[in-house]
Amino acid sequence: MDIVQKKKIGLIVIILAIALSIPLFVTKPYYIHVITMCLLWAYLASSWNLFCGFAGQLSLGHGIFTAVGAYVTIMLFNDFNISPWIGMFAGGAAAVLLSTLIGYPTFKLRGAYYALATVAIGSGVMVLIENTMTLGPFHVGGAEGLIVRLMGNAPAYLQFMSKVPYYYLALAMLVIVVVFSYWLKNSRLGFYLSALKEDEDAAAALGINVRNAKLVAAAYSAFFTAIGGVFYAMLIRYLEPMAIAGPMMSNEMVFLAVVGGSGTVFGPVVGGITLHAISEVIQFYFSDMAQGLHLFIYGLIVVFVIMFKPQGIIDILQKYYNRFLGISDRGEDESSVS
Amino acid sequence: MNMKLLSIKNLNSGYGDVKIIKNLSLEVNKGEVVSIVGANGAGKTTLLKTISGLIPATSGEIWFEDQRIDNLPPHKITELGIIHVPEGRRVFPFFTVYENLLIGSTMPRAQKERKKNLEYVFNLLPRLAERKNQVGSTLSGGEQQMLAIGRALMGMPRILMLDEPSLGLSPLLVQTIFELISTIAKEGITVLLVEQNVRQALKLSDRAYVLENGSISLEGTAEEISNNPDVKKAYLGL
Ligand SMILES: Nc1ncnc2c1ncn2[C@@H]1O[C@H](COP(=O)(O)OP(=O)(O)O)[C@@H](O)[C@H]1O
Ligand SMILES: [Mg+2]
Repeated sequence: MDIVQKKKIGLIVIILAIALSIPLFVTKPYYIHVITMCLLWAYLASSWNLFCGFAGQLSLGHGIFTAVGAYVTIMLFNDFNISPWIGMFAGGAAAVLLSTLIGYPTFKLRGAYYALATVAIGSGVMVLIENTMTLGPFHVGGAEGLIVRLMGNAPAYLQFMSKVPYYYLALAMLVIVVVFSYWLKNSRLGFYLSALKEDEDAAAALGINVRNAKLVAAAYSAFFTAIGGVFYAMLIRYLEPMAIAGPMMSNEMVFLAVVGGSGTVFGPVVGGITLHAISEVIQFYFSDMAQGLHLFIYGLIVVFVIMFKPQGIIDILQKYYNRFLGISDRGEDESSVS
Repeated sequence: MNMKLLSIKNLNSGYGDVKIIKNLSLEVNKGEVVSIVGANGAGKTTLLKTISGLIPATSGEIWFEDQRIDNLPPHKITELGIIHVPEGRRVFPFFTVYENLLIGSTMPRAQKERKKNLEYVFNLLPRLAERKNQVGSTLSGGEQQMLAIGRALMGMPRILMLDEPSLGLSPLLVQTIFELISTIAKEGITVLLVEQNVRQALKLSDRAYVLENGSISLEGTAEEISNNPDVKKAYLGL
């Protein structure tokens, strides 16, 4: 094992050790909750990135998948007492199905069709939920939203009294999506995705089944996003159509991934954690000044980062990372972070 | 005794409502080098895109040996051995030379022979071997064209369709690229060559078609075409 390898492993160990010990130092539930939300947003941005970042496709409607994942899981739990641990797979499967239904016709076409379809279907799904009180045997709750049936401390039903288990769950989910991103990026499919991101026609002319590659990656992305929706539901214990399916949810995933560095493994993680932390701070200090001021400031930050660092914050970190490893800036080992 | 490899019958295609290729028929026999020459905007690129399935045929038929291929998706068409080197090279700029070559052999038929084909390409194009780990965007125009051709060879073409391989290259490099095409043809690969550089294209072709406004205006052996007075005037500047 060479020195670069050792340094990399050392860095991972240190970051994981810090992450694992945070609940030992941060004991106020409110702060644990905020940090958990940072991890969740990092997870959601990474899930969006699995398809949209790696394949260069714009989805402005990933809130569809958080919503479908969460609603299916919670309805199964509320009305049939099926544990969210199991229900989440049904929610994930529903998201995969929906993603394929959107992708199948639109991936055949070039241009903005996919992005437009995600916007249209995204707002459609929200309005649909808002106007559905019941669906067969299920209570949906319409615009009032859906309350998660409370069970006290019930780990088998993904419910905890303390915030700490949620924190560790979010951390585990984030680690899983990062490892999956890394695997995907270095897989054959990842190779095809970066080719079609570059030049779709050239990729197709070389025999890559462009539509299939997109469908598979979009399905992965939808599944991971849906699981994020389930986690959100269990943490907040209340599903509001606007919050879980609305444009804020969908846009936020895009902002975080792009500001962090879309199409890279760690960009969305960095974007999700830092930007969400910033937004919490802004909200804390500015939300009582003028209505919407915190959103305005947040928007400005997003615009500035995109203007001055179009490759994302990860681009800055990459430089320090390479220096730490002792390799040149255009180092031979860029793939490990990007 | 000619063996038909590719035959196109009364083909129409275009972009949306815009008709570009109009009632076009042509044939390419096994082992031939066939040129399609014509002015800028005649529809040469559109024709190749239609053959490789990147845009749909609105009517007419395209046959590869005894299989009808219009309506097949692009990856099925490449799997048959119809490989298209697109106009403007379109090398993947962030991929290394090696990765660019690998992505040319993703179809099952070519994947099995990947190692052998890599050796073949590096032998044929030693310049690429030297630059194996360099990214595509750092290559010169001529090297990028070689890479685009090498990448296509990785897919084990039974017919190689080249869209203006000489475009934007210096005269010396144009020479090199045409020699490369000659070499490939001599190894038995059928070539369908699209060119604006009519003189050079005719030199290495067996037969040629002249494309005007989306239709064939003239066809014949390369010699017949180069001696045609209209062609001489319009395309050879004589
Ligand atoms: N994507 C497109 N959409 C609409 N029209 C196009 C498109 N690409 C090319 N054309 C038109 O099709 C005609 C033929 O173009 P092309 O096949 O590129 O010709 P050539 O390759 O012979 O120069 C031209 O009039 C061009 O403007
Ligand atoms: Mg052209």
